[in-house]
Amino acid sequence: MAAPTNSIMSFTGVHKSFGGLKVIDEVTFDVVRGSRTALIGPNGAGKTTIFNLISGIYDIDIGKITLDGTDITHTPIQGRIGHGISRSFQNIRLMPHLSTIENVMLGQHTRARGTVDLFKPLGWGPGRRWAEMAEDALKRFGLETYPGQVVGNLPYGIRKRIEVVRAMMADPKILLLDEPAAGLNNQETTELQNLLRQVSDQGVTLLVVEHDMHFVRSLCEQVVVLNFGRKIFEGTPEQVHKDPGVLEAYLGTGNAA
Amino acid sequence: MSGYWGGILGILCINIIFAYSIFLPAASGQLNLGGAGFMALGAYSAAYLNTALELPMWITIPGAAIFTAAISFVIAFPILRTRGVYMVLATFAFAEVVAGVIINMEAVGGASGYEVPSFADLDVLAILAIATIGFVFYLLATRFGLSMRAVHDDENVAALFGVNVRMTQVMTFTIGGALAGIAGALYAHQYNYIEIQYFNIMISIFVLLYVLIGGTQTAYGPLFGAILFTFLPEFLRLPEMAGVANGAVLAEWRFVIFGAFLVAVMVFRPEGLITRAMVDRLRHGRAPEDITGEAS
Amino acid sequence: MLVTQQVISGLMLGGIYVMVAVAFTLTIGMLNFLNFTIPPIFMIAGMTGWGLTYYGLPFGLSDGGIHWAVALVVGLAAAAAASLLVERFTYRYLKAKYGDATEHAIPLVSSLGFLLIFENTVLILLGSDSQAFPVPFHDANLRFWGLIVSIPQMACLAISLGTVALLSSMLKGTRTGRGLRSIAENPEVSTLLGVNVHRIVPVMFLITGLLCGLAGIIFTLNYHEVSAYMGNEVAAKAIAAMVIGGLGNIWGAVAGGIIVGVVETLSIHYFGADTIKISVWGILLVVLLIKPQGLFGHTRIGKGKF
Repeated sequence: MAAPTNSIMSFTGVHKSFGGLKVIDEVTFDVVRGSRTALIGPNGAGKTTIFNLISGIYDIDIGKITLDGTDITHTPIQGRIGHGISRSFQNIRLMPHLSTIENVMLGQHTRARGTVDLFKPLGWGPGRRWAEMAEDALKRFGLETYPGQVVGNLPYGIRKRIEVVRAMMADPKILLLDEPAAGLNNQETTELQNLLRQVSDQGVTLLVVEHDMHFVRSLCEQVVVLNFGRKIFEGTPEQVHKDPGVLEAYLGTGNAA
Repeated sequence: MSGYWGGILGILCINIIFAYSIFLPAASGQLNLGGAGFMALGAYSAAYLNTALELPMWITIPGAAIFTAAISFVIAFPILRTRGVYMVLATFAFAEVVAGVIINMEAVGGASGYEVPSFADLDVLAILAIATIGFVFYLLATRFGLSMRAVHDDENVAALFGVNVRMTQVMTFTIGGALAGIAGALYAHQYNYIEIQYFNIMISIFVLLYVLIGGTQTAYGPLFGAILFTFLPEFLRLPEMAGVANGAVLAEWRFVIFGAFLVAVMVFRPEGLITRAMVDRLRHGRAPEDITGEAS
Repeated sequence: MLVTQQVISGLMLGGIYVMVAVAFTLTIGMLNFLNFTIPPIFMIAGMTGWGLTYYGLPFGLSDGGIHWAVALVVGLAAAAAASLLVERFTYRYLKAKYGDATEHAIPLVSSLGFLLIFENTVLILLGSDSQAFPVPFHDANLRFWGLIVSIPQMACLAISLGTVALLSSMLKGTRTGRGLRSIAENPEVSTLLGVNVHRIVPVMFLITGLLCGLAGIIFTLNYHEVSAYMGNEVAAKAIAAMVIGGLGNIWGAVAGGIIVGVVETLSIHYFGADTIKISVWGILLVVLLIKPQGLFGHTRIGKGKF
């Protein structure tokens, strides 16, 4: 199947099993360049597995992933960020013993890992450039209060946002966000949405796994629905509610609205 | 300065360098329980260069560092494939093999020990110890240091952000080997006589304790650990030397007190005495905990 | 013939390693931690036994030394008590998670602290010299086909294998044993399933304490010699045996113990005492690097944790 020309990432005929259990079964979809796409589905539908396949944590059994025309199916985990994939995690995975700014600077790693940069001090002297860039990013997203703090002790909502900023620092083409709004209160969710809109306005494609349908509807223009490892629907958030297959998948859980 | 305290300071300098040699891999998440083996490689290579080839110290010490680093680099690849308790055991086994090989090598004296002619006085030791401290602080402030600490916290996420995890670990292991080589060479030149029995499991255990008790999160940890571990047993001997009544009892029981101290540290400060949060608090005069309750 | 004799001595020596190796493998298998208090606990049994036989009860409670058999039983009890003390301060406090790779070093460091405490306490109270242990049966040997088999050594090998067999059937057959095995597989899940971790972990330490104590006693009876350092060499060999058998694998540790015993006596015989280190630790290193799961099948235990 030929990918549409405006597609940034395509996921073609992907299968993945764990010890005989089929987790992803013949999934194919495209993510439109510059779009805000949501990946939804009931628990165990395989959403996070898809993220792990895209970011290279798991290997694909059968199938192909291309990013911007490049086949990245067999690119090792540390190579994928160089192709423009960056992500956040369902359970925050910041480095607990690094400070906010150091976590954010980790996001720059691929852009700054020339041999010279590797052994240049970060916070002082000629290496200041990267530190300043990270400070600017924190300021832009309203996190300038915390640069020197070890992140392990920061509040949940703040850490969630730091994770997004860290992922942003890699200057990705596509940003994968795994349940970014989970565990946030209303105000924090609004702040996060504003942040994501800013990111999207800079031309970054967003692919979001999210349970909260209000969040999905207000942020995303495209939705892919998974159930038991299969794609059951692809369309706009408005169409999702009218699709009988989706309703059936959610029947009993009752949270499709 | 009396000869006694001069001797202690010499040991302190060696211990600091040795502690940093174990700290570098530990700071990137690798526990090395084979410190004695690497130190023995450094001591014996320096001694061989000094005795058999009659080279001066300014060649033997760097020579020992390069030799130990080369061996560390070669074994880093198989050893770093193991993790957790397997790595502890593999490094431990490596140190035992080194001891076993040296004891059977008549060229370096075998079981009967080996003379080292050149003497390194406290100045040399102090300069190298201070240089090592500066080097480690600098290294941790670079992007490579950031990679090390990121690998320590979460290997998978570090890899996702493009850190070459394997390269980082091999590098820290190799640089650690070089530092252990320097520590061993200094030991050989300080005492002018080495025997392989000295480089035993207790040496490996103690140096790992300097690092883990001091704390692996900052470069202050091993420095503090080495100072504490070098002086604490000596301080417990002070009352005896000053002739205080029952001072001998304290001196006799000092290693028991020391063991109890280790257990207590693990109960009350399991991340080590010096943590990152503590250094931040001292530096910025504000506790990160203060803001924990603000939101969420 | 001489080789067969060496193999027999190796088997006997292996019997001691077997019990200590099983103690190591149990702690690593169940709790993911390399217990460095095992060598001093082994030593405590022997040294307490010797101290009581030589000096008698403390505080003048007995006139002179007490009977060696009673003394050794007290030594066994002391070993078990020491192991429970370690549990109180090592495992109970240390289940905190810090989310980094060195967090599992915590029990390792605590057990090193206890190693210092136990070894130095014994050194202070009983001295650092090797002491002869007075046992009645010195030369009870069976001779057949020109081979010498020491009866006490044979009895000890039998006791050692019997204890491990008993332990293994206990792990399979009893409620406590099943609880222990479920902790080994997944501590969180086993708590959910109603296994009381706080009650069962002390049982585990009691078992390892008794195993090491018994091994210490057998060692004392066979070699008639005790010292404050007697545990270190044995424990080092037992660690090698455990690795060869695969971490967490009880019967693997048994086989490993016997292999190490035989390799040790043969390599002393052929190459001299100084080569033991290279042969035993060389084998260990190669096994760790090439086949870390051990020679006898697969176990996931111990990976990535201490």
